Amino acid sequence: MSELRHRLAEHWHHWRTVHINWRQLGRILLPMLILGGLLVYAAWPWIPGVREPAVRTVVLYGFSIIGEMMNDAVFPAFQALWEERTGEQVEFVSAFSASGTVTNQMILGVPAQVAILSLELDALRLVEAGVLPAPTWRDLPHGGVVNRTPFIILVRPGNPKAILDFGDLARRGVGVVHPDPLTSGGAQWAVLAEYHSVRMLGGTEAEAFDQLIGIWQNVVAQAASARAVRTQFESGFGDVLITYEQEVLSDRWRGRLSGEIVYPQSTIFSEHIVVVLNRNILPEDRELVDAFVTFLWSETAQRLYVDYGFRSVDEVLNAANPDFGMIPYAFTVDDLGGWEKAKPRIVDGIWRDQVLPSLGLEAAP
Amino acid sequence: MNPRPKAVLVPPLLLVLTLLPLLLMPLGAIFVFAGRAGLPGLIATLSQPDAQFALRFSLLIAFGTAVVNGILGTFAAYVLSKYRFRGREALNIVVNLPVAIPTVVVGTSLLLLWGPIGLLGQLLDPLGIQPMFAPAGVLLAHLFVTFPYMLGAVKPVLDELEMTYEEAAYTIGASRWQTFRHIILPALRGGMLSGLLMTFAHSLGEFGATVMVSGNLRLRTQTAPLFIFAQFEAGNIEAANAVAAVLALISFAIFMLLQWATQRRSGRVS
Repeated sequence: MSELRHRLAEHWHHWRTVHINWRQLGRILLPMLILGGLLVYAAWPWIPGVREPAVRTVVLYGFSIIGEMMNDAVFPAFQALWEERTGEQVEFVSAFSASGTVTNQMILGVPAQVAILSLELDALRLVEAGVLPAPTWRDLPHGGVVNRTPFIILVRPGNPKAILDFGDLARRGVGVVHPDPLTSGGAQWAVLAEYHSVRMLGGTEAEAFDQLIGIWQNVVAQAASARAVRTQFESGFGDVLITYEQEVLSDRWRGRLSGEIVYPQSTIFSEHIVVVLNRNILPEDRELVDAFVTFLWSETAQRLYVDYGFRSVDEVLNAANPDFGMIPYAFTVDDLGGWEKAKPRIVDGIWRDQVLPSLGLEAAP
Repeated sequence: MNPRPKAVLVPPLLLVLTLLPLLLMPLGAIFVFAGRAGLPGLIATLSQPDAQFALRFSLLIAFGTAVVNGILGTFAAYVLSKYRFRGREALNIVVNLPVAIPTVVVGTSLLLLWGPIGLLGQLLDPLGIQPMFAPAGVLLAHLFVTFPYMLGAVKPVLDELEMTYEEAAYTIGASRWQTFRHIILPALRGGMLSGLLMTFAHSLGEFGATVMVSGNLRLRTQTAPLFIFAQFEAGNIEAANAVAAVLALISFAIFMLLQWATQRRSGRVS
């Protein structure tokens, strides 16, 4: 008994004399605690029992400028509608980028169920690549066109270069900031507007060509998407920016517009196409995706577009937005025979094959 | 106690002055723009679900990349340093190539290999396996892009390691694994730590390859750098910079911590 007590005392003594080097321990423990904390933070939603019950999802890819409107207004409106109708939660998984980029991503196989593209040409590329079996969007309401916006000219405050129409952009000394037609859907619309507006106002083909080449001689900066090009303009490049009316209006409402809109006498309405990719839709999601696509043409959604500066396909609703400017000689791509004709004739045949080489810039084949 | 003549201060001052426009001011600008909406604005931006997701996803991928490449890189360094075999030199060059290849090219080639229409992807697709446009694809891209960092930090230490310790271990009957575990590994600790750190930091900031292979899906595969770019494209400069500031702070904290943790070790050497 006394021997045990003795040994215990010895142990106790030993324990007391063990010197714990707190600083050394801290050097090891603190980084581990912080790294561990970071790991727990990162993994938190995936730790079993933490995450909320699974919700149904719709995967949507879209061109750049609709992103904000979809995330802030259209998705929430549909989520409310669907929950009211079925009691189910819907989550939107979305990606927004230049229309051409989105199209390339879909060709490479991203799991998009619905896509909104800034021009039908990209949708046609999906057919060509076998992503869509046929131009299925033409069976949707309005031939797949969900909303529109005209191409306008944005100038610096006070319009120091006295720009009144597209013709003035071809003047010497005007610096034009332009998206790149090779990647940006918006840029291709712009090329059509720059060319065909002359024809709409009674000009000849030669005059239209002169205006297009004149404008392109003045291009001082290019970027891949409509959004990126606006950022360039805002950073101080150039005197004018050719862009979507919606872009400029949404900036004005946020009090960030550093410039003035010039409405051309004649310009094109870009038409934005909804594409449904059946191959990425499981049978059990069919009803949900169809309901969402139908919703995109509902009056609720169309009014949201108008609120966010897009023009509705329903002309009556457009009166709700007093900021929409008048364009006496507006046209659409249908006036040029559709994209199947306009692209080879104007974008390829004139812009790429004649304008670019004359500027010493050859487009990649 | 340590008298400092004024001349000693000149080179550091010169360094700071040169780094000011190159490094320090751009870093500062991130925080200035992030804070433009004030602290409540910053918190509101950062607590959005997509910003939270992007940060978490990036951190997880960075941890995963650091662990896998930590092991793989050390193994590669060990083999390349301690074994003599035909083609060693060529392999040595090949494993270091990822630093020289543009990350966008890495992303494209991964897509052309593993994507639904890629060489291997075509075979996997019918089985329902699709690594691209999924977290697995992001991890694959990061493993590729950051592979040389661990190797580069560990291999020089191994090359310099005195053979005599190893030989002594063998002579007293230690196995190859025992020698590695008790002789080589402790010597590598510093190199491994900095290798892991470099891998983690590079993975956290990786953009070019990720943008190709992830599909850039919000709440699914959008990493923090992709979130930053998407916000920038959408014109939300403040949101972009808020997340960028967090990334910068995380990297800064980790660098500081590891420096602090390794200080004692290097202090003992001197």
